[in-house]
Amino acid sequence: MLAARLVLAVFVAACLLRLALLEPARDITTDILDLLPADERAPELSLVRSLTADVQARVVLLALDHPHSDAPPDDRAATAFIDSLRTSGVFATVERHADPAQREAFARAVFDQRFALLLPAWLGRMQAAFAQTALPENEFSSWAAEHAADGLESFLAQPEAMSMQELIAADPLLLVPRLIRDLSPLDLTNPAAKSRTLVWALQKAPPLSDAGQEPVFVAIDDALASARTLQPELSLEWTGVNRFAAASRTRIQREVTVLNLVSIVAVLGVATLFLRRPWQIVQLLPVVLLSLLGAWTATTLVFSPVHILVFVIGALLAGVAIDYGFYISLQPPDPQHPSYSARLRPLLRPLLTSCLTTVLGFSLLLVSELPLLRQVGFFVASGVLCAFGAALLWFAAVPTSPISTRPLSLLDRGRITSRRLPLALLVAALVCALTLPFTAKWHDDIRELDLPSTELRQNDTRVRQLFGERPAQTAYLTFGDTLAGARDRLDRFLRHVGNHAPDATVASLGAIFPTESAWRAAPSLLQKLASFPADFRATLERRTFDPAAFASFFDAWDENSRRAPPDDYAQLYRELLPHLPAPLAQTLAPFSPHPWFLSLVQDAPALPLFDDSGTLAVHQLETFNTLFGRYRLSALRLSFVGLALVVLFVTLLYRDRRAFRIAAIPAGACLAGLGLLSLGGFPLNLFHLLGGFLGACLAHDYTIFTSATSRLRALPSTAVRLSALTTIASFVVLGFSRIPVIHALGTSVALVVSIALVALEIEARTPRRP
Amino acid sequence: MKLVRPFFVAALFAFVASRAFAALPAISDPANDPRWRDIFNALSADTTRLAVFEERRHFPFRKKPVVRTGELRLVPGRGLSLRYLAPTPQILIGDDQGLLVRDATGRSHTPPDHARIQAATSIMANVLHFDLAALQQDFAFTGERTGADWFLQLIPRNISRAGSLGAITLSGHEGVLERLEFTRSSEQRIEILIRDARENVDFTPADLKRYFR
Repeated sequence: MLAARLVLAVFVAACLLRLALLEPARDITTDILDLLPADERAPELSLVRSLTADVQARVVLLALDHPHSDAPPDDRAATAFIDSLRTSGVFATVERHADPAQREAFARAVFDQRFALLLPAWLGRMQAAFAQTALPENEFSSWAAEHAADGLESFLAQPEAMSMQELIAADPLLLVPRLIRDLSPLDLTNPAAKSRTLVWALQKAPPLSDAGQEPVFVAIDDALASARTLQPELSLEWTGVNRFAAASRTRIQREVTVLNLVSIVAVLGVATLFLRRPWQIVQLLPVVLLSLLGAWTATTLVFSPVHILVFVIGALLAGVAIDYGFYISLQPPDPQHPSYSARLRPLLRPLLTSCLTTVLGFSLLLVSELPLLRQVGFFVASGVLCAFGAALLWFAAVPTSPISTRPLSLLDRGRITSRRLPLALLVAALVCALTLPFTAKWHDDIRELDLPSTELRQNDTRVRQLFGERPAQTAYLTFGDTLAGARDRLDRFLRHVGNHAPDATVASLGAIFPTESAWRAAPSLLQKLASFPADFRATLERRTFDPAAFASFFDAWDENSRRAPPDDYAQLYRELLPHLPAPLAQTLAPFSPHPWFLSLVQDAPALPLFDDSGTLAVHQLETFNTLFGRYRLSALRLSFVGLALVVLFVTLLYRDRRAFRIAAIPAGACLAGLGLLSLGGFPLNLFHLLGGFLGACLAHDYTIFTSATSRLRALPSTAVRLSALTTIASFVVLGFSRIPVIHALGTSVALVVSIALVALEIEARTPRRP
Repeated sequence: MKLVRPFFVAALFAFVASRAFAALPAISDPANDPRWRDIFNALSADTTRLAVFEERRHFPFRKKPVVRTGELRLVPGRGLSLRYLAPTPQILIGDDQGLLVRDATGRSHTPPDHARIQAATSIMANVLHFDLAALQQDFAFTGERTGADWFLQLIPRNISRAGSLGAITLSGHEGVLERLEFTRSSEQRIEILIRDARENVDFTPADLKRYFR
């Protein structure tokens, strides 16, 4: 007894010490992206992951409004608002959306570098178009002059020509006007927002961290307060991932608290039916607490950070842990050998078998690709081992009064005289199980890990529309191993969109830069166009233009032709990047390990992509959903392997027909349960699978504990019934959760355990074959 | 894209404004000026309109204007629609939602430098509707009448919105607008000649769908 107390004391002290050393911000995460592997094998998914986590998720969009007025907020108030955000220390960048001054500065930088950036592509297009004419090489320059003049005349008839006339005089090749046209889909302005001041901000801390939430909310409240000192009527609409994260966390915490309380009430309700003194169930509480303590400690020692969902899902461990308490405390002492070890002896083998089968099954999840599954697998496996050890030690260390049960004759009633009913039920279960592959509709959605807020979603849509986001717009990410490779792929992608979706508009900031091949070919093409200035002057004169008005262009052309060609392609990017307005700078990453460019495509929702495009549609959630679907298949394989190993393990231990029974009932209950859900039209996901697996492990315990009596057709013991019914009660409660993950786990575990219990009860009542 | 420095725009604006003010008598209270009431009432009638137009764009680097021809439609509440027939067929629509260009195949897009063209179209719609209150906010009025002919000049009050378009000149006969000109300088201007104007035109739903948003 002393040794057991000592071991428990040391165990508790060690666990508490470890948990005291935890730093929640470092060791526990609520970031949904941490559920995915950091070293995801598909590079494109790593890119989306990094884009989502590092760039897009940190963007905060704020719309300051002066209600009841068509005029935008007073400029002083808007400036006070922006200054307050800037000095708050929580934002890396705060800018007015589509700030004319910034756009002007950027446009000027592009104009100043137009020959380096845009001329190579123009030269390439001229060369390609000239090659189609089959004219002699020496006519290239005069042909290019005519072609350029055609383009100029055509452009002058466009609506935008009048507002660009000063620019056209300096750029008759229309390098910059065409770029402005090509990039117009990136011009995210909404006329409906003209009565508002729109502010784009990039927060420093990740939005799913504590530092990325409350301090940001306070900074925004302070900024609004400072603006209201100048214009008290101002109102603010804003959106950011941190708002969703904070709301989601609060709701999940509230939901889990309520579920746990109702779950406890449900378990006590079941215990009241079976126990004369239901409060005696409190004697089992230490086993559950020690089990959870051990699981938390072991998991946080092995994984960092551990996702909060692991603790939520892992709380289901309580259902397994309490079973060991039931089995031991309900085991009547042998009057001949009243010692604890003698009382334990008949239980040891089934207890050990059930513990090891559960540990074996869940340990297999450790080889899953998905961190969430690895963490849940380790949590449950270590928790079950701790529950087993704690149950043995607790009842040895602390003498407890035996729990006395209440006879429930209702449950013992009924005998089945014919074998037809069991046979019919078995066939029905088989049908459910066998049709599972054909009826199952798998739907994996990462949003099911979250609790959606309709109000926040509507606010988000409203604010994003003010910032010019359009519903029919799809973002594509084009990446490469090198900067030149990524830019080449972008070029192919832009042409691909033009060929396959002619009604779509596509824009990418990467289009400002030439491909490396065009850039390297430019000097030799310029040499071939040595007479172009003279030819172009003559063509303009002939077409009633005034060549003298284009003097600045011809000067710039001459200067560019005399300039020695640079030898560093990346320098083009280095020189322009500092001039990019911050929101636009998020749309390309030329110097990241996998350089990438973002493109916005309007009105082409199902654009087919070609092989080796290095491009993916950034439907982030859908991308992650595909990923989750892949992990579900992986989990499915692991579950089958796990069940096979459990069967093998049980067969080795029992070496007779009992092994088949112990394996068949849980496996059948699991497959029939999932099949029943499918037949009912419920779409299944990864968490139904996980629940089915957990249910099968629990069902193993019941079949193991009834294996000795099943041959005698004795009814299941009170311990088994109590274990199963408390589990069903608590998981049914979880099935009412509004969090889809918890709902999936609750319904699947409750269903599988119910089917297993019904199977055991029917088995015990069915007459043996004569 | 604006490459002309602001001070240059300001100087140009001052020059145009001073020339214009010097040339014509001011209309200090357009809404209540008895000399202009009949013309303004006729121009501002809240009706649908259809006319044929010829647009001449004068650029400083081209000796001859770029000429575009087409049809003009105006529907209260739906905005202005300019159907260009030549040289490139397209429809330019200006309404509360902004500006839209629809090409011959029916594809629509928002032109770049949207804000400035939007301002131009919005002012043009105000001029064609002759929304006196809106025009008075942006422009000072000058003008004179010679018999049934009249000549109006609207001078931008500031260089921000209306000023980037320059002065607007309207001329006509009795209650009919015949000519419209946006003048930034003698070399940068757009003339629009309007003829065959009809009022109270009954546009079919198909017309409204085709020519408006």
